[in-house]
Amino acid sequence: MSLASLYVLLAAPFIAAVQVIVYAGAIMVLVVFVIMLLNVEEEERRSLRLRSLVPAALLFAAILIAEAVFSISFVGSSPFTPQDASASQVGVTSSIGTGLFTIYLLPFEITSLLLLMAIVGAMSLARSAKITGLARVIPGRVVLPRHLIDASTVEDDSPIQTHNTVETEELFGEHATQHDED
Amino acid sequence: MTPQLSWYLALSAILFTIGVVGVIVKRNVISMFMCIELMLNAVNLSFVAFSSFFRDVSGQLFVFIVMTVAAAEAAVGLGIIIAIFRNRESLDVDDANILKL
Repeated sequence: MSLASLYVLLAAPFIAAVQVIVYAGAIMVLVVFVIMLLNVEEEERRSLRLRSLVPAALLFAAILIAEAVFSISFVGSSPFTPQDASASQVGVTSSIGTGLFTIYLLPFEITSLLLLMAIVGAMSLARSAKITGLARVIPGRVVLPRHLIDASTVEDDSPIQTHNTVETEELFGEHATQHDED
Repeated sequence: MTPQLSWYLALSAILFTIGVVGVIVKRNVISMFMCIELMLNAVNLSFVAFSSFFRDVSGQLFVFIVMTVAAAEAAVGLGIIIAIFRNRESLDVDDANILKL
């Protein structure tokens, strides 16, 4: 959101609006949904490997920061000035649309193809995550095949727990490996 | 005092560095994912700054395309994260060290 305000300051209102819509509206909502879905537990601190490289890392970081500060202070006075937000025609929607459909038409079409591929990939990922055999399986959870739930067929009805799809397939036998095609 | 081009570039460099350090240091998949988004945003900021200072619309078109790629990456990446979490009950990248699901 602060980046969007910076874009407005740089006389790019269309990009600012797209930033707010795409990031605050879509990506952050997706991330929050995933975090809620996955009920993340506290991650444990682990010891730092390669501890001997820490002084070298600090030295390199100091050198890089010094270089950055030097170059930025050196080019600090550039002849270019930011364009006036009220007078400019560069950042408005019509100029962006004109550029997008004339010079940059091929990248635009490739981008649409990329979005299509992302949609298909996400759907196939969501679909292949479950094994459908005798029961709907969420790997890692307690799994009870349907013929095991029936108490007359089996005497031991203790829950069976699997941790990945391979174990689940072994547990379910041949039935689990065939996916439902309907 | 009008803002200089180097200010925006410095902010962009700082954001990009935070993203890189987060990807390297963090072990949580979602944190790494958000750091990648931060890097994309840093590049977007420098694009828009150059576009505004040079009065050329091409930079903003690039930003548009980069945002599309970021959205596609978010969709597919979060799908992969959910699939990995279902199989391994863990968000640690060290647990997901084989390509097989």
